[in-house]
Amino acid sequence: MTDRIRNFCIVAHIDHGKSTLADRLLQLTDTIADRDMMEQVLDSMDLEREKGVTIKASAVRMMYTARDGLNYELNLIDTPGHVDFGYEVSRALEACEGAILVVDASQGVEAQTLANLYLALEADLEIIPVINKIDLTSARPDEVAEEIESLLGVAAEEIIQISAKEGLNVEEILEAVIEKVPPPLINNEAPLRALIFDSHYDAYKGVVAYIRLVEGKISPEDQMHLMASGAVFKPVEVGVFMPHLQPVDQLEAGEVGYVATGLKTVRECRVGDTLTSAIEPAAKALPGYLKAKPMVFAGIYPVEGEDYGNLKDALEKLQLNDASLVYQLETSQALNFGYRCGFLGMFHMEIIQERLEREYDLDIIVTTPSVEYEVVLNDGGVKRIDSPAELPSEGDILEIREPWMRIEIFTPTEFYGTVMELVKKRRGIFVEQDYPTPNRVQLIFELPLAELIIDFFDQLKSRTRGYASLDYHFIEYRSDDLVKLEILVNNESVDALAMIIHRDNAYRKGQALISKLKDLIPRQLFAVPIQAYASGRVISRANVKALRKDVLAKCYGGDVSRKRKLLEKQKKGKKRMKMVGNVEIPQEAFFAVLRLEGD
Amino acid sequence: MKSHSVYLHIPFCRHLCSYCDFNTYAGLEEHIPAYIQALCTEIEFVAEYCEQQIPVHTIFIGGGTPSILPVREFGKIFQTISRVFDIQEHVEITIEANPGRLSYGYLKSLRDLGINRLSLGMQSAIPEELRLLDRQHDNYRTEKAVNDARRAGFGNINLDLIFGIPDQTPLSWQMTMDLALSLNPDHFSLYSLSIEPGTPLNDWLGEGLISEPDSDIAAEMYELAEARLHEHGYQQYEISNWARKGDGLGLMSCQHNLQYWRNLPYLGFGAGAHGYAGENRTVNVSRPDRYIEKLLSSEVDSSQNDISYPSTPATTRVTVISQAEEIKETMMMGLRLTGEGISRREFHSRFGTSLEEVYGGEIEELLGLGLLEWDQVTSERLRLTPKGRLLGNQVFQRFI
Repeated sequence: MTDRIRNFCIVAHIDHGKSTLADRLLQLTDTIADRDMMEQVLDSMDLEREKGVTIKASAVRMMYTARDGLNYELNLIDTPGHVDFGYEVSRALEACEGAILVVDASQGVEAQTLANLYLALEADLEIIPVINKIDLTSARPDEVAEEIESLLGVAAEEIIQISAKEGLNVEEILEAVIEKVPPPLINNEAPLRALIFDSHYDAYKGVVAYIRLVEGKISPEDQMHLMASGAVFKPVEVGVFMPHLQPVDQLEAGEVGYVATGLKTVRECRVGDTLTSAIEPAAKALPGYLKAKPMVFAGIYPVEGEDYGNLKDALEKLQLNDASLVYQLETSQALNFGYRCGFLGMFHMEIIQERLEREYDLDIIVTTPSVEYEVVLNDGGVKRIDSPAELPSEGDILEIREPWMRIEIFTPTEFYGTVMELVKKRRGIFVEQDYPTPNRVQLIFELPLAELIIDFFDQLKSRTRGYASLDYHFIEYRSDDLVKLEILVNNESVDALAMIIHRDNAYRKGQALISKLKDLIPRQLFAVPIQAYASGRVISRANVKALRKDVLAKCYGGDVSRKRKLLEKQKKGKKRMKMVGNVEIPQEAFFAVLRLEGD
Repeated sequence: MKSHSVYLHIPFCRHLCSYCDFNTYAGLEEHIPAYIQALCTEIEFVAEYCEQQIPVHTIFIGGGTPSILPVREFGKIFQTISRVFDIQEHVEITIEANPGRLSYGYLKSLRDLGINRLSLGMQSAIPEELRLLDRQHDNYRTEKAVNDARRAGFGNINLDLIFGIPDQTPLSWQMTMDLALSLNPDHFSLYSLSIEPGTPLNDWLGEGLISEPDSDIAAEMYELAEARLHEHGYQQYEISNWARKGDGLGLMSCQHNLQYWRNLPYLGFGAGAHGYAGENRTVNVSRPDRYIEKLLSSEVDSSQNDISYPSTPATTRVTVISQAEEIKETMMMGLRLTGEGISRREFHSRFGTSLEEVYGGEIEELLGLGLLEWDQVTSERLRLTPKGRLLGNQVFQRFI
């Protein structure tokens, strides 16, 4: 029977139509009745649907009768579609034997097409290239087919051309999966080893681990053991994705399914961990497990002090489903009590921020993101800091090291110059270039992460009219001449506005930040001086003039309610500001630094 | 029963001005007779709630452009009002009018009907500014309207002026003030222009055709006007209003607007009109055709049962004002009164609790900021300081 199993995933650059294709496959196999079809079933979070990307991987089992008349079990494993989740993608790929590589017929090959393709090749997957969106008027499927041919060596005319949106040619994909993707290799007799490639938290069943059985069998009666986290448990239930959770009596090697673990936190059941039997454990865990390491840090503070408890609850709940989110208590002079949070990357941070605001209805301030620095002190000690406020005084510091990334930018060749310029401005170092397809260049650089997380992606997009795409990986820590830039508002240093920057940029950034803050800080009842300060001297200053006039005109026809509403609105806007000393500072000011680069 | 004010809304204009976001419509004049019929029906409807006649001491006919109505329509309105309400002896009856199309004869007829206060939308004396505001008059018309009104027997005339107009300068504002002062009105209302969404002015701003008025310059104009008006013997009694002393009768302030600012009851009739009586704030349907339909269609009687004073079939929203909200609104409106402000004693007798008990902290803070003060003679009245008058919102916010 297992020779009728195919485990595969779909990989693509953002917006190339991965989720739409998944939907079509589900409909085509009657896994989901048309009437139950919500757009993009696999992306269950609203936020994903809105951003058009997949945040959580997911899986579904489809039953399909092929043209050869036989019934096949197809397990589709969805992969997260963003650069911050590279590790999660690699684990999901590890659970498959094949990958459908979707390329947009008008956009062509992009950075994440390449990044995901390389990941899939590393995982030894059979690649089935597909060109999507051929219904668009801007589609150029033949050119894109040539790009793919030069990339993969698959003959251009053999590449399936589809429109997932219109349902055109989609069935060909299923036939190709059956024909080309090898069935899993089976060893039912070995001790159980199953790869965890995703999980979610369920209030009744605990953490539900998404697994691919590599060897052995699993039944709900077995006592289980997670080899990396050490957790031991008896499952609440074992089952498959139909796509709803459908309990079964047994899962065998090669199959994809889930184990409801009853565990209370996803930290005990991380992606990449190996599930085995507690009674008859495997000798060795599956390779490739990594503990998620946050790379980007920011303070999250409630606008209203009394929301502190709610923020804590919300972060706890988010962490139930997100093992890569870390947080710890932080206090700021300016913002009082909040949390220092660690994220996989900028995109991960944005998602958490939006979820706190939208799903938990919290008014929050997110401070300027920072990376984790290694500070070597004169006495030889090394201090790791992820917030500028923690930087020791300049006299005590021997050197500061910061994380460097290898970044891969994929862009039409016409934007070569502007991309080079941007990277150079951000202290980047050119490494190499490659032309994987005609008219497209892949540029490899090394760049400090601190430069990457501040508005780099937006800048890249605007300089290349949205055509460039980006992928990045950590390489190492390197030392550089870094200083702390402090901001004084009304003669008080505002710790949440401080940042660590390169000494050569201190003057320019200090000036830019002050002029930005001057516009963002509303006029108060008194004049407010603001200053930027680095290495013991003031490098820029400005004054926010006192407010002179703020009064409503007449109340015509006795419309008191309207007047009151306007005042209430104004008052509410005020509440969203943070009192620092006796100055009201709006939330935007705390990430003004993000918008500094007008370049 | 407390004496009430009556507001009548006339939502018709020949032409809409570029800054106007009031509830008014151009080109619907054919509906006027039906509208006035509906208005009278609504007035009767409210009167029927009460066993005794409601005492009324002010009537304000606003718009829109009330002076668009033929005299006979006013005749119908006043016939109804004087039949169903108990009109007080010194009733103040105001009508708003555009200077553009007034004639002596028309004004005389209005005066004969009992209307005794005329509020003229002069807005500016500068032709460029009038053109930008898309007003349909000039200075000659304004002067003539004032003179004709005096001749017709209007002893109480107000001029509305607007400052903070795009490209207006302190000098041009001073010229407007000078011309207005030369007309010797009894009352001034000075409004700072606010550009509202949905108005042509807002569109022009969006298209970059005009520049956003500078609020610092507007503040300067306000202070300039304060000084000028003081020199000429006008006394400020509200953030935007000044009046001169009458013949031994005290300040000629607008009694109708005082009713709003003191948060006392008023009845609002007409499309989009607001009322406040018996703990309820009411709002009428905005569109004149819907208003007419609601009042003149046959279903009126059936819907009567489940609505309460002072709602009518034209009411679309009723908000019950709790005492806590009444206190907030009393502060927010009362502090606009630059002379009388909020009286400690009146507050206590109205709400049964002291001003300090409810707002001790806020008052302390605002006194400290120099935005509020107690009157120097009796320390009985809390009011805005001269600085506070320009920063009223900063003050009112703290009381709501």
